[in-house]
Amino acid sequence: MARSLISCLGRLLGGLLIIAMIGTAPARADDGVDVNGQCVGDANDDGRVTVDELVSAVNNGLDGCTLSPITLQFRANVGDQPFACGTTYHGVGSSAVDFSPSDFRFYIYNIRLLTAAGEDVPLRLVPDGVWQLDNLVLLDFENKVPPCSQGTTVTNTVVNGLVQAGTYTGVRFTLGVPFSRNHRDEATAPSPLNLSGMFWGWQDGYRFLRIDGFDAAFDAFFVHLGSTGCVYGSQPGVIAGCSRPNRAEITLYHFDPARNVIVADLGALLANSDVTANAANTSPGCQSDPDDADCAAIFENLGLHFDDGSPSPSTQTFFRVE
Amino acid sequence: MGVTMHTRTRSGLARLAIAGVLALGFVCVNAHRGVATEYKWNLPIGFPTPKVPDDNPITVEKVALGRFVFYDTRMSGNQTYACASCHKQELAFTDGLPQAVGSTGQMHPRGSMSLANVAYAASLAWANPLLLTLEQQVLIPMFGDNPVELGLGGMETELVDRFQSSARYRRMFAEAFPDESETISVKTITYALASFVRTLISGGAPYDRFVQGLDDTALSESAQRGARLLFTERFDCFHCHNGFDFAISVTFAGKPIDETSFQNNGLYNIGGTGAYPPNNTGVYAISHVPTDMGAFKAPTLRNIELTAPYMHDGSVATLDDVLDHYAAGGRTITDGPYAGDGSKNPFKNGFVHGFSATAAEREDFINFLKSLTDHDFVTSPQFSNPFTGQFCGGDCDLSGSVSVNELVTSVNVALGTATLAECVTADADGDGLVTVDELVAVVNHALGGCPATTASATTGGNE
Repeated sequence: MARSLISCLGRLLGGLLIIAMIGTAPARADDGVDVNGQCVGDANDDGRVTVDELVSAVNNGLDGCTLSPITLQFRANVGDQPFACGTTYHGVGSSAVDFSPSDFRFYIYNIRLLTAAGEDVPLRLVPDGVWQLDNLVLLDFENKVPPCSQGTTVTNTVVNGLVQAGTYTGVRFTLGVPFSRNHRDEATAPSPLNLSGMFWGWQDGYRFLRIDGFDAAFDAFFVHLGSTGCVYGSQPGVIAGCSRPNRAEITLYHFDPARNVIVADLGALLANSDVTANAANTSPGCQSDPDDADCAAIFENLGLHFDDGSPSPSTQTFFRVE
Repeated sequence: MGVTMHTRTRSGLARLAIAGVLALGFVCVNAHRGVATEYKWNLPIGFPTPKVPDDNPITVEKVALGRFVFYDTRMSGNQTYACASCHKQELAFTDGLPQAVGSTGQMHPRGSMSLANVAYAASLAWANPLLLTLEQQVLIPMFGDNPVELGLGGMETELVDRFQSSARYRRMFAEAFPDESETISVKTITYALASFVRTLISGGAPYDRFVQGLDDTALSESAQRGARLLFTERFDCFHCHNGFDFAISVTFAGKPIDETSFQNNGLYNIGGTGAYPPNNTGVYAISHVPTDMGAFKAPTLRNIELTAPYMHDGSVATLDDVLDHYAAGGRTITDGPYAGDGSKNPFKNGFVHGFSATAAEREDFINFLKSLTDHDFVTSPQFSNPFTGQFCGGDCDLSGSVSVNELVTSVNVALGTATLAECVTADADGDGLVTVDELVAVVNHALGGCPATTASATTGGNE
């Protein structure tokens, strides 16, 4: 009731404002486009600004932008099959062998939806005290069913957020934990940064991505992604930076949030890796060690430059849209 | 029969005494509940006050609780290991192994470090410039899985439940962390553990008694000569082993600038490239900086006699071998995958330049090292396993006897007007309560002395 009254007032005011603007509009000082090159006020990007769009803009000015709830669906796959603890998958990796994953979790943050015009619209996460914290979310596909013994029984396959109403055709996010949250006390951190399975204490940070598993001979193959080469700066106990941040910037197109799901595919991630082999004298699989040759192909598929840990979005194959 | 009569009489007396003491206890009641008891450092002469993080002030309650946690096998995933499994008091909190073995049998690439004076360490672990506080460090043995140490990864809820199931722990956590909404949590477990470990201070060796002027006979002439060798430019040990802790990169309360320090001492030089064995590359594994290859922390020399074998990987068996290593300016390995002349490691610290020493000098030097063995430290009941059941009920300070003050404290613990931490031995059965029967035992110990088999600090002989 109150809302419709405000909206009604807004319309009235909007109309008056528009008349006033038309009457007094000065000569244009710019070309009328925003930083993304879009026509200012053209919310539906049809190349013209209608009275309705102007009224919406005035209303947003009066009572703030209205954000709509939106849920992004995620799924973990191994090739074309959904991931499940306890399942052995065939034809995994470059040697096309049997592989049994035993963990599958990752953090993402800074999630944005893309308009058809390529504009980034930030997704504001709804804090839930468990999976979502500020702009960070843990996606957790393991349910502790053996052999996923290190995990948790609960899972999370969605991101719940608020976004400006609109039509979106893509999604963008960072795989990892933001630097500002990555180097704090893990024992006292709020959820989801307090799960010991994701701690990476010896590197003073978190595992951004944790995938564990083993081959038919029960030889382990892990993919643990996180920042390395971190150093303290002038402020005691405060990490100043990491020589290899290892945060991947993921962009996916042809994504309709209402219809599509974002798939994280272990099969694609390991496509160029022989999970039955391990580079001599290195940890099993890839633990983000720059000296571990097993990491090269995996980093490429994650969308990271192996030599410096910077993003390499064009090589990314781990995530896709279905 | 006579014995029974005697016991009965004693028991009757004790009950009478308890009535009086209970009254006394009430008199002594103060606003104790919920108030942490200040921990008073009992520091050796010349030792600075340890640095304590602002968010984890040290209290009697946290230290007492941390001692229980340290010795409790609840602290491993499969409940077979405690912290003390790899940090044994009699070995100055090491384990005597070249490389540690975790709760699931997995081998650690490095040896368990001594916890003596770890409160003063500017960085923790063998080669990690990022680990600056014990609160941060204890998470690694607990939750780390490469390698598995205590093997608690992913088990934090079960860990909390294990402590929650014990009435004694419920009381001790509540009394140690009165301001926490969740008194038993990963945070409080690690904070209590860090508080206890911070109290493991060793400064009562013969060397200390000599230099503190307490005992002119504590240090033999030979050991005195050995001590002087440490500070010679010929031996050059002092660059990395100096100050009250015979260590480098030491911190303490009020020190405005902390320095961490890691050195390559020429232990390896695989193929002449400076390389160290994989999985043991030192700070390089963290920093990826090539010149950090083989850089490890120089540990304290205190109790070094007890912490063999030596070096980060336990690859040097005896103190005599350690002297050989430094006299040669590095170790040469002639064959096998790690072959190389360590003395020519390009990343080696320049002070590891080798020296010649006579047999007599070597003996003097080793006698000096042995004079850093702190007998009190490795036998102190304050640092010992509280679960052995060998403590005398009501002997709050573990001195071997029960004083009237301790009797009063025991009563206050029974009444809940003192924290359990102020007298954990009063609760003989470990249920978190001090019952009348337990108080009877305390009174009997006050009147008739502690049983001869109970542990006490007097075993150290230097109290």
